[in-house]
Parts: sequence; C-alpha cells; structure tokens
Amino acid sequence: MAARCVARRFALMVVLGVLAASVVSTTSVEAHPMDARNAAFVQSVEGVAFWPFLYLGAKHMVTGYDHLLFLVGVIFFLYKLKDVVLYVSLFTLGHSITLLLGVLGGLSVNAYAIDAIIGLSVAYKAFENIGGFERVLGIRPNTKVAVLIFGLFHGLGLATKLQEFTLSESGLVANILSFNVGVEVGQILALSAVLIGFLFWRTRTSFLQHAFMTNVALMTGGFILAGFQMVGYVLFS
Amino acid sequence: MEMTGASSVRRIMVATAVAILVAALLLVAIILPAEYGIDPLGSGATLGLLGLAQDRPVALHSDEYRLDSADLVVGPYDWVEYTYRFEEGGSMLFSWRATGPLSYNLHSAPDGAPPGYADSFDAQESDRSSGSYAAPYTGVHGWYWENQTANPVEIALSTAGFYSDAHEARDRVDGYHPLTDLRGNKVLGK
Repeated sequence: MAARCVARRFALMVVLGVLAASVVSTTSVEAHPMDARNAAFVQSVEGVAFWPFLYLGAKHMVTGYDHLLFLVGVIFFLYKLKDVVLYVSLFTLGHSITLLLGVLGGLSVNAYAIDAIIGLSVAYKAFENIGGFERVLGIRPNTKVAVLIFGLFHGLGLATKLQEFTLSESGLVANILSFNVGVEVGQILALSAVLIGFLFWRTRTSFLQHAFMTNVALMTGGFILAGFQMVGYVLFS
Repeated sequence: MEMTGASSVRRIMVATAVAILVAALLLVAIILPAEYGIDPLGSGATLGLLGLAQDRPVALHSDEYRLDSADLVVGPYDWVEYTYRFEEGGSMLFSWRATGPLSYNLHSAPDGAPPGYADSFDAQESDRSSGSYAAPYTGVHGWYWENQTANPVEIALSTAGFYSDAHEARDRVDGYHPLTDLRGNKVLGK
C-alpha cells in the first residue's frame, strides 16, 4: 500500500514538474519577453503614457510565471487575509524600491543572473514550506525579511528588463511609476485568482495531503527556472 | 509558516533531492535542447525539439526580386506620394535622401480599403530615412512627402525587394514607374 502511494505521489509530482517545465519551454529565452510590438511601442513613446505603461506592468505580472510561482509559495500557508496583505505588501515594498531606484539610477544587473535568483527564490520558499529549514537545517530564517529581500531582487529584474529598451527621458519618472502601479494591479489580479483557488482547495482534505508534494513540485519548478537562466547566463553573458 | 503534521527529516531530504534531480533531468533532456539547442543526451534530436531553438534569419519569397530608384522633385508647398504594390509579408530595403527637410509618412492601405484610408507607420520631419519594411497585408505601401518650404526639394529614393509596381501620385497627375529586374532590365509595373 505504502509503496503504491509513494509511486502515485511521485507520478503526480513528475506530472506537475513537466507542467512547470512546459510553461518554461513555451516561452522564449527571457522569462518575460516583452512582445515585439510592445517593445517597439515602449521605445517610441515620448512623454507620459500612463495607461500603456500601467497595462504593460500589469501584463508583466499576470503573465510572469516566476513572480506567480513565488507568490503561490508565499501565500501557501497564509490562512488569514491580514497575513496575505502583510506579506504581499513586503514583497511590493521590496520590488518597488529596486524598480524605481534601478531605472532612475541606471542600476542594471545581468537579466539571466537576476532571473536565476528569482527561480531560486521560488525553490527557497517551497523548501521552507515543506519545513526544510526548520527540520533539516535547524534554522528558522525570518520569512518576512526573506520575502522583502526577494522582493528587492524581483524589482531589480523588472528594472533590468525595462532598461533593455532605450526609454525616452521625457516622462520617464511618470512612466516608471505607471509601470509600477500596473505591476501592483496585475499582482492583485493574479493574487485574487490564486487565493480563490486556495480557498476552494483548503476546504478539501486533499489540501494537506498534497501540500507537501505540491511544494516539492514548486521547488522543482524553481530549480528548473534557476538552471535554465544559469545556462543562459553562461551562454550569453 | 511551515506545514503542520510530521514531515521527517529523511522525507524532506529525499523530496528535495528528487526535486533537484527531476529539475536537472528535465533541463538537460528537454528544456536546454528546445531553448538553447544544447543536447548532451541526444534527447532533443530524438524528440525533434532542436528545431525550436534555431533562429531563422532567412525569410524566403517566391515573388520576383525588384530594384527601383527614383528621383522626385517636390515643388514649394507641394506633395508627392510614391507607393509600391506588395503581397502580404513581402519586404524591401529602402533609403532616401532629400535636399531639404520634408514632412513625410510611410503608410499603407490594404486592397479594398476606402479612398483616403492609410495606416501610418513612420511619420515625421526629416531629410532622410533608411530601413527595411515588411508589408503587413496585401495592398499599396509607400511614402507621402510634403514640402513645407518655399524652395523645391529633390528626393533620391532607392529600394530593393519583393514588390510588383511603383506608383507616383501628385495633384491631378499620377502614373506608374518601370522597375528594374535582377539583370538590370526594365520591367513595367502596370
């Protein structure tokens, strides 16, 4: 019985891992390739374009599976709305700081390196969720600080991607702010969808049964993202 | 934050090891071949994934290759329009220089569009422009130049690509220009 159960769980995990992989492989080399048309538009913009940048920020967040996987990891065991708001605010604070400072201060890092770190942030959170730090390593890293720090990295990733385009100086600050507002809007939309899913799932006993395996799959997805970007770093940097 | 219920140290370690192994296997066997064309196991070739990683810098066209150069004079406060007929996806390289500033736009209109319809792609003021163009649909595609000065301006235009005729239009005058084929022979458009 036990052996069959383990085999079934392993099969489930592999299926989830393949799903995660297929998400990765259906996109292009960058984790968030900006659509060629969007890119051409962004480069042609002169002056303030609030709605287009807001839209792009929201689109980036809703279609950015690495951010989404990280958020799934963060809210996995957050049952109270108050905690969800707290942690997501920390994440938002982190990436807002680096997005604004990054673009305005011209601070740019290698996109592959930053995406690899973002992939590792997913694996980190999933490892924490299965009790890895506490039980295996005997440490208890502060989760709030970790979420804030990873927020800083995610924002640096956003800043790096925006700076790949030659953005016009005119209206730059307003446009970056619009993009950031869009990121928050997209995050709220994506989070709402994920939270609704969790609310349904948590009413079932299968939630705790599969929570472990789901986090292992999440961790697998994080490692795939990280490895994928590390190889990209070696190849193209 | 952590899970309730007992997860033994052993279970967590095994699960983490399996996660790393599965991630590594998927990466090496499937994702690296499909994304970067790196195929250490040969699995990418077996599964036919390597094609996904190839850039395709070549776009082949079956239409005839045409060359065109035109010298156009735009009188003071006058305009001229010069367009080519493209099939969808047809492309060209272009370059033009003018002896003075012109207000211009590169525009197109699909077949069957109402008179005066135009999708404008590059509209600005300049005395030169060079680049490439790929027709988003079948129809006419080209430039409208307007001279807003009191002096005549001469334009030297040169293009090469997959279009079938060149049409010049001015106030009350319009007509077709002959194109040049690969051997340098004149070929009539319309």
